[in-house]
Amino acid sequence: MRREHWRAALRNPVGATAAVLLFALAVLAVVAPMLWGDAAEETDPAALSQGSTGEHLLGTDALGRDILLRVLVATRYSLGLALLATAISVLVGVLLGVLPAVLGRRSGRMVVAAVNLAVAFPALLLALFFAVVFGVGARGAVLAIGAAGAPSFARLVQTTVSSVAGRDFVAAARVAGVGRFRLVTRHLLPNAGEPLVVNATVMAGSALLAFAGLSFLGLGVQPPAYDWGRLLGEGLDRIYLNPAAALAPGIAVVAAGLAFTLLGESIAQVVGLRAARLGQAPADGSPATEPAPEAPAAPAAAAGRQPDSDAVLAVEGLRVGFPGAGPDGWTYPVDGVDLSVRRGETVGIVGESGSGKSLTALSVARLAPEHAVVTADRLDVAGIPLGGVGGSTDDAELRRKLGTRLAMVFQDPMTSFNPSMRVGWQLAEVTRVHEGQGRRAALARAVDRLRTVRVPAAQRRAHQYPHEFSGGMRQRAMIAMGLMSEPELIIADEPTTALDVTVQRQVLRLLKDVQRETGAAVVLISHDIAVVAQLCQRIVVMYAGRVVEELPAGRLDQAAHPYTRALLGSVPDLTTDRDEPLTTIPGRPPDPSDRPAGCSFAPRCSFADDACRADPRLAVVAPGQRAACWHPRLGPGPEATSGELSTLPGGVKRA
Amino acid sequence: MTTPSTPAAVTPPPGPGPAGSAAAGPRASWAGNPWVSFLARRLVRLVASVVVLVTLAFLMIHLIPGDPVRASLGITAPPDLVEARRESLGLNDPLHVQYLDYVRGLFAGDLGTSMTSNVPVADTIGQRLPATASLAVAAFVLVMLVAIPLGLGMAVLTRGGRRRGAELGFTSSSAVVAAIPEFLLAVGLVFVFGVTLGWFPVAGRTDATSYVLPVLALSLGPALLMARIVRVEALAVLGEDFVRTARAKRLPPWRVYLRHMFPNALTSTLTIGGLLLSGMIVGTVLVENVFAWPGMGMTIVSSILSKDYPLVQGIVLVYGVAVLLVNLVVDLLLALADPRSTIREG
Amino acid sequence: MRELGFHGVTVRFGTGRSALTAVDGVDLTVPAGSVVGLVGESGSGKSTLAKAAVGLVPTSGGEIRLDGAALRTRRDRRRLQMVFQDPYASLDPRMSIGASIAEAIPGRVGRADRAAEVSRLLELVDLDPARARSLPSGLSGGQRQRVALARALAARPDVVLADEITSALDVSVQGSVLNLVRDLRRQLGLTMLFISHNLAVVRYVSDVIAVMYLGRIVEAGPAEQVLTEPRHPYTRTLLDAAPRFDAGLDDPVPADSPLLDDEPPSPHDPPPGCRFHRRCPIGPLTTPERTICVEQDPQAGAADRPHRAACHFASEPIQSEVPAP
Repeated sequence: MRREHWRAALRNPVGATAAVLLFALAVLAVVAPMLWGDAAEETDPAALSQGSTGEHLLGTDALGRDILLRVLVATRYSLGLALLATAISVLVGVLLGVLPAVLGRRSGRMVVAAVNLAVAFPALLLALFFAVVFGVGARGAVLAIGAAGAPSFARLVQTTVSSVAGRDFVAAARVAGVGRFRLVTRHLLPNAGEPLVVNATVMAGSALLAFAGLSFLGLGVQPPAYDWGRLLGEGLDRIYLNPAAALAPGIAVVAAGLAFTLLGESIAQVVGLRAARLGQAPADGSPATEPAPEAPAAPAAAAGRQPDSDAVLAVEGLRVGFPGAGPDGWTYPVDGVDLSVRRGETVGIVGESGSGKSLTALSVARLAPEHAVVTADRLDVAGIPLGGVGGSTDDAELRRKLGTRLAMVFQDPMTSFNPSMRVGWQLAEVTRVHEGQGRRAALARAVDRLRTVRVPAAQRRAHQYPHEFSGGMRQRAMIAMGLMSEPELIIADEPTTALDVTVQRQVLRLLKDVQRETGAAVVLISHDIAVVAQLCQRIVVMYAGRVVEELPAGRLDQAAHPYTRALLGSVPDLTTDRDEPLTTIPGRPPDPSDRPAGCSFAPRCSFADDACRADPRLAVVAPGQRAACWHPRLGPGPEATSGELSTLPGGVKRA
Repeated sequence: MTTPSTPAAVTPPPGPGPAGSAAAGPRASWAGNPWVSFLARRLVRLVASVVVLVTLAFLMIHLIPGDPVRASLGITAPPDLVEARRESLGLNDPLHVQYLDYVRGLFAGDLGTSMTSNVPVADTIGQRLPATASLAVAAFVLVMLVAIPLGLGMAVLTRGGRRRGAELGFTSSSAVVAAIPEFLLAVGLVFVFGVTLGWFPVAGRTDATSYVLPVLALSLGPALLMARIVRVEALAVLGEDFVRTARAKRLPPWRVYLRHMFPNALTSTLTIGGLLLSGMIVGTVLVENVFAWPGMGMTIVSSILSKDYPLVQGIVLVYGVAVLLVNLVVDLLLALADPRSTIREG
Repeated sequence: MRELGFHGVTVRFGTGRSALTAVDGVDLTVPAGSVVGLVGESGSGKSTLAKAAVGLVPTSGGEIRLDGAALRTRRDRRRLQMVFQDPYASLDPRMSIGASIAEAIPGRVGRADRAAEVSRLLELVDLDPARARSLPSGLSGGQRQRVALARALAARPDVVLADEITSALDVSVQGSVLNLVRDLRRQLGLTMLFISHNLAVVRYVSDVIAVMYLGRIVEAGPAEQVLTEPRHPYTRTLLDAAPRFDAGLDDPVPADSPLLDDEPPSPHDPPPGCRFHRRCPIGPLTTPERTICVEQDPQAGAADRPHRAACHFASEPIQSEVPAP
């Protein structure tokens, strides 16, 4: 556990409150018995079982002892016993938990099975069992609660350790010859440590509560000793006479228990947040730049192109913002995209991860994440103007139009179907909702569409669940789902990335057939420029949230933007010269919250000069070809950004 | 498609046909049925767990340091009385004989005899069980009725980081209440509704109103805990790709939530529900002692204190079996609810 | 550098209904100083084969030999080192990259020597030795993969097994890692088993290409030969399916036949005879008289066919036009 985590946990108001409370309890545990230990034992025969008075703020017990003092003094005993029990649980739990990783396969499995059986029983039942075995009293209760908590901690250790053990770096260490013991101490425990510390903290809280419970039942601390639970039990008998006698120790128990639990949870939250932040691209290494300029002015007549009248998709100035680390408190992974797709056209969007290509597609389809803010000067999808609709996706009419005219195909067919619903019903749902079809008719159409995409035995397969389909078949079913109505536009977001290459070809051919037969336009998003070139007539290249080049597939060998050229040269294909090194692009794409001013590609481009500090707009470089570059490359040039020579695939054929 | 030649040869005989030639058919399909093998495996596991439980319950009396009878009767008891009691309990027999006797007794419904009252343990349990069971079941039903709609509703309201205030309010207040153990909650309820307001009885099991406070005490924490978990699970499901697919189909929101989110959040809800029910069955021990509820929880505590070990043994066994049965039911429901569940993997 | 040999290696997982033979009697030789590219689709068992070699999964049959001597102990296995697919998962997030590399250096080495060796290795993979103290979280995917390569080389292995080392990387980074593999090979004369699902990537770095399908090697031979004159129809199918700039989707290839439109076979229940026959463009589905494919396993006798192809018709050229549906 690193120091900054603790600090971050303490900055959180909940964590801070919990920590202050714990600190106060610790101080009380040390000083209260010293200050008031004797006074709390003092009996006052003149004030037996009194309510609150000036002398005894919370009243007295049956022997006339002051309740307030007794509650304060009991802090030490209550906390101490709880921590002792926690220590036993953690110690036994870690031993039992690490054992399977150290033992052989069979004995390890025995330990796991035993722990699993024990975990099935609630801790209180185990505690009662052990309380009988270890005997009634404080010592017995510590052992009982410690033993009762051990199985669940052991299980936690087992799952964390085995999840760490399943990760590649542990495999790599094993291959590198790291011994079993060192593996546990250097790799497994440090990486499992965080959740374990968090849970031990939470566990201390529940041990405290459990202890109070046992003492309350009379099975824990025995008189004349007393802890909060005991005081509570005694107070409850006289709750009508003096409620404070029962409530005060109760509040003490709850406060202390909560302090531990909340501290643990706020640490867990901080740790979790950190993990989420790590998932994003780290923002180092990119050159320091001035803050990005104000939102780009609407490219009104962008490069002098008139909006196409028979466009099924017309996007101008699309920006997608997330609250983030940008200069104005927002980051824009998509930052001013223009895109237009004509009826029946196939357009490919290519880019690396982080280029904003998928987010562009999702935003166009109004499927961007909830916390994204999508703005556009123009956003017409399948003849539906979405620019001014705002957030009201609940409009049934709009839903019906979008649902019937726009179809989506997603990247991972394994996760894109509802696992608990039969495939046929998931297809049928589209027309049942949007066209009001009956169950039978909708299912019949679903079967028909499954046949259209050549799913064998469509009738039978419609009644199967998604997990009974292979990846390729699911992707076909996904396309079939899009065909339930008559779509004008199909947006396919990396539809073949999760598939094998032979299946990829089948799915791409299917998309092509569908496009030909239905006349729907297809937008294909992919990181693989070769895939896009095979299917699409026109290719749009994205980099750092913008379109950098737009060209007919047949002109890929004449790409004008240095990035497009480098992208083509860095991917080997079956004709690449094996004696030449591949083109490489130095550096890495800029973080969306920290893009350089002007051309985003300039820091990685060997042609960049001062001119590139200004924002390049898409400009026509050849008929049907536009590039956002101050120094567009012209002609079938072999040069690449790194200055190394590379051959470009010659004779690119129109798809 | 192959053309069917002789139908009789291709299709297996439907159902259990006449004895003889057809007998192999049903048996083969019976053995191949994943449900049957799943049930068989699950029952084997249950039996194994019960055996472990029975053994531990049996051993409990022997793990106690010293002589349980002496401990039970007190140090002043005359030695011949102790000896007679040991003899009547069979404690002088060899361990394995005692174990076999114990197991045999269990099969006959004999859980032993109380050391203090000489009443058969089974009778006492039979008398006390309904009070405990009705309490646990009522609390569980309340938990489910409150937690699932609350959790799903909160998930929908706070999806995608919406309504941060409501989210913070819900998570922090539910965390606080869920962290209060049932017996302290019970004390608080007694104070507010019994002592201060005087609305409900605070002790004993009389009419329907006597259920109110114990059930509340038992269910409030688990209900909020469950609601939190349901919310987190539902939010996780909302982040799944297939929910995006459902949105891409432009289904109305209620359909997305009820048809696509809810069934897929059910699995973990069931798992947690089972754990909570187990916890609540045992949690009755504390609540019963606050409300002087005449159930098994009162009995087990008093018998632990009076060192009436056969009675403790019997009640631990009943609690344990109840927990195992809950686990079994949960596993069966999980298998039914999830088409991908292990039973199909075999 | 020495020769790595797989001899009848079999790996089985699970029991009963879920049993699966991931690798089924694989014979494969990685000659000293050469790069063998192993290509196959997901589930073909190629990664399992590599993991079996380094001892991460137990074999249920066969032997893995180094210069003819079977590898048995853990110490033997250290002669083989593996680089994993995902560089974000294969480095301990809590260990500096220098420590991760140093951990793999064999024997007892002094602190100064160890640091010098780490610096040398980092330079070898084109990373600044000053970064030895940084944690993996500060590195890009390509840089991490370089560290993983350096760690593998630190153990002074006889053979390096590279398992899909570029597939988790962005296309613009993939090229630099492939260039590094080529350079290292030239500088150090590495013996390497290079595993990838991408035929073009494998082709770029390999001398020999082996093709795996459903747990078996179906064809193996010199890279150019396998790519220009494939003997197994599966290799042909892979080649035809690889996206390329000079062929569109409309130019039909044999595997496009609608007769072959079916689910890929399950590895839990591989088809009888030739495992590829249900997807084979020259098999019984398109050429009904070829019943031998359903009846006889072509694995027997593969050693005598060109490219050791597991196909009864390996000596015949593969017809290129699509049979009518």
